[in-house]
Amino acid sequence: MNAWFASRGWKPFRFQREVWDAYANGESGLIHAATGTGKTYAAWLGPLLEWMTGDGETYPPLRVLWITPLRALVADTEQSLRTPLKDLNIPWRMESRTGDTRASIRAKQEKRLPTALVTTPESLALLLSRPEAQEQFSHLHLVIVDEWHELMGTKRGVLTELELARLRRLNPNLRTWGLSATLGNLDAAAATLLGDRAAGARMVRGVVPKTVRIDSLLPEHMDRFPWAGHLGVNMLPQVVAAIEEGATTLVFTNTRSQCEIWYQAILEAKPDWAGLIAIHHGSLERKLRDWVEDGLRAGTLRCVVCTSSLDLGVDFSPVDRVIQIGSPKGVARLLQRAGRSGHRPGVVSRITCVPTHAFELVEVCASRDAALAGAIESRFPVERPLDLLAQHAVTIALGGGFRADELLAEVRTTYAYRQVSDIEWAWVLDFITRGGEALRAYPEFQRVEVEDGVYRVTNRQIARRHLLSIGTIVADASIEVRYLSGGRLGSVEESFISRLRPGEHFFFAGKSLEFVRVHQMVAQVRKGHGEAGSVPRWDGARMALSSELADAVRERLDQARRGVFEGPEMRSVKPVLDTQAKLSAIPGRHELLIERVETSDGHHLFFYPFEGRLVHEGLAALFAWRLSRLRPITFSMAMNDYGVELLAPDPAPLEDALAAGLLSPANLVDDIPASLNAAEMARRQFREIARIAGLTFTGYPGQNKSVRQMQASSGLLFDVFVKYDSGNLLIEQAHREVLERNLERSRLGQTLERLSHSEVRIMVIQRPSPLSFPILVDRTRHRLSSEKLADRIRRMTA
Amino acid sequence: MNIDIAGTSLELLPERAAFWRERSTLFVADTHWGKAAAFRAHSIPVPYGTTDNDLARLSAAIGKTNCRRIVLLGDALHAREGRAKKTFAAVAEWRARHADVEVVLVRGNHDRRAGDPPEELGIRCVDAPLYEAPFVFLHHPVASTQGYSLAGHTHPAVKLRGRGLQRATLPCFFFTPTVATLPAFGSFCGNAVISPEAGDRVYAVAGDEIVAIPTVY
Repeated sequence: MNAWFASRGWKPFRFQREVWDAYANGESGLIHAATGTGKTYAAWLGPLLEWMTGDGETYPPLRVLWITPLRALVADTEQSLRTPLKDLNIPWRMESRTGDTRASIRAKQEKRLPTALVTTPESLALLLSRPEAQEQFSHLHLVIVDEWHELMGTKRGVLTELELARLRRLNPNLRTWGLSATLGNLDAAAATLLGDRAAGARMVRGVVPKTVRIDSLLPEHMDRFPWAGHLGVNMLPQVVAAIEEGATTLVFTNTRSQCEIWYQAILEAKPDWAGLIAIHHGSLERKLRDWVEDGLRAGTLRCVVCTSSLDLGVDFSPVDRVIQIGSPKGVARLLQRAGRSGHRPGVVSRITCVPTHAFELVEVCASRDAALAGAIESRFPVERPLDLLAQHAVTIALGGGFRADELLAEVRTTYAYRQVSDIEWAWVLDFITRGGEALRAYPEFQRVEVEDGVYRVTNRQIARRHLLSIGTIVADASIEVRYLSGGRLGSVEESFISRLRPGEHFFFAGKSLEFVRVHQMVAQVRKGHGEAGSVPRWDGARMALSSELADAVRERLDQARRGVFEGPEMRSVKPVLDTQAKLSAIPGRHELLIERVETSDGHHLFFYPFEGRLVHEGLAALFAWRLSRLRPITFSMAMNDYGVELLAPDPAPLEDALAAGLLSPANLVDDIPASLNAAEMARRQFREIARIAGLTFTGYPGQNKSVRQMQASSGLLFDVFVKYDSGNLLIEQAHREVLERNLERSRLGQTLERLSHSEVRIMVIQRPSPLSFPILVDRTRHRLSSEKLADRIRRMTA
Repeated sequence: MNIDIAGTSLELLPERAAFWRERSTLFVADTHWGKAAAFRAHSIPVPYGTTDNDLARLSAAIGKTNCRRIVLLGDALHAREGRAKKTFAAVAEWRARHADVEVVLVRGNHDRRAGDPPEELGIRCVDAPLYEAPFVFLHHPVASTQGYSLAGHTHPAVKLRGRGLQRATLPCFFFTPTVATLPAFGSFCGNAVISPEAGDRVYAVAGDEIVAIPTVY
């Protein structure tokens, strides 16, 4: 192996040898390091050494499984794994298996899987749903999970945990290695990856990351720079200048629509760059993305405007500059994106942040502080989601069937379900066999059947539907976009297309397109003539400020309050902070600033806890609920990473509520669920759960109308469950998920603890302050009312 | 709430039904009986209770009005797969409690596929339209030369906005100069937001009250 490294002019790192030895010893573990530092070969060469020094079996059955979170990474992974196989003359068959795999290869794999297989969690679930699975996976030596930090905090991570438990049961000596970026809680990463075998896991730290330079483009005239907004195109001239400085630049945006808009803007500013700049995001057709990625590798592109779609994997050596539009919202993400540049030795990674509104300058400054202090975020594992357990049980019922006690023992070896109770398990079994609790069995219902204690799926229609809905990523109904001539462009949300009239123009895939019609679930378009048009919006979750970054922002503001403005960003944003101080106040570290202001919309209350959007969502519901207990009132709520707005037609009883414990951490156990229900948050969360548990179904490709009769919105289902089956554990799960995942329950409690000890500073102001402005203009709102519905409607229409 | 229409008057009930006192007739649209059962038959475990609950609400409307006749304006049954024993047993029990009330179904699009309710339920089934001056009873909300149409089918709802960026969407009765559309009676039904024009009248079902919604604002 050393010779092979030497032949390529490399030398193995010490951590790589450590992993090879540990693997040879039969150990499992986690390798953590920044991307592009040799983690791949650390994990991959162990089994090759084993083969070379050991059995040397000529065409071994499936031995190594490589799981990657993104389908987009599969081809590149395959390529880099293949190199040593070829150089060392190892006659292994190596293939990938994803939704894109050709039918001929699939057919071959049905008979026999290759020695090494690269796949995704969803495709693996499909493989495990086949009756041959038990035999096909029983010779496995090693599973490698790439980018485990991306998976672990998600339900896809839980799906992977369940699959690993399955594979370990088939192969008691199976070794598992995870590759992860640096995290605040690596112990949890190992615990989730290895389940009940986490004790004694080998933690291997890769090479120490290189230096990162974080700077920003500053607005020329702060007095004309907006207080709110998320596009930031007013910084276009500076961004174009920065792109001109570098050879190859990646421009990261936070959303797909922002990505489209920036691509258009840059192209308009520099028409001669046509062909040299490209666009890349997750809704674009695979072929378009491949073309962009190839161009990046070859260094033929000057600039690619992208989203998190280029966060992971794939090394693009020519990239020497990274620009981040808007705040990165987290330290780990900032460093990850910075690491996409300067891949050559001795080159510094550099990321340049572009503020989209004034306060983002504070965030950039704060994220540099947090990065220097090494305050990397943690990813919190998902705890026993029953929707996914039900889905997995059906998958295994398809793949040869299971016995209840055996599968329970197996799933309990995972971290996610280590504490799943007998009652919950019984409920899941009832759910998949009878549709609910034993007492209310539905005779017409039939998904999984039990015969002699073995759970199996026999109905082919049910099997087909289950296979189509495997997977846990929630996507809105999306519709494919194609040219009339057939060329595929990608997909957009159905709701966007439904608002377009034939002949209308829109921008997508970096092109001006004319909408022609929808035909058989495909939106047909033709090339536009550059007319102005709308840009699709994808309903992705908005990124929230991490707790580490929020803390650094509070610190920076506290300094500003004391007149300390350090660093170019803080000096640049000073005039806006001065305005904030003049109109209202800059909140100190131990203060809670509350602003009251009346506008034509009504009476506004702004609270500024600076805890990030997620915590604020919970606080908004809680504050609105507690205030609404004092008198009948209706609120609309908005929030951003800095604060919360409660807007009502009449003044809210703020002083009375503060006296009655508005900020108190007491009674949270009762108040939070009540406020979540009132604010309909659990109802929204149920959308994902209903889909994973197979209650709603997005349909077959090209389905007909009669299937539609069996579709109900998850909101309608939620209402029916709450009313007629309140003990349904999926409803309980919706509450739990809102609390734990969306609101980070512990953080919510900690925040109230902090706020209740803060000095409350109420400012009655004449016009909205710079801090309130971004929240004020946000029109995506939640609502909560304690008025009698009919009274409320009468007042609304009066 | 009483409203004047086509030279007679209708009482709109928050139970999502309309009462024609002159002929002692209660109008109900889109009950979609057995919809949850149809979902269960497709192995989507929707809980029991929707049909029972809806029948209890229908009984309440009968109790309030002492009506002698009920006209179902189409989509009585949701789907063929929803023709479950338990559903029909519940409807039969309800029917027995109000044996002296005549029930007429004007067939809708779902009824064509789902079939008529079993004969023993004593529900007279006819194809739309049914004329009874000044009204035309039918399922699809279309104008008729024979009279003022009373219909269902669209599950109308009205979207409201108010001060303080408030919003609400409520099921409603929707009266145009030629057609009245009733809200869907079934509780396991979605709805569709209407766009009223000048001259239309809209009455929202707000909990246990009916509220008139100004159509020009």
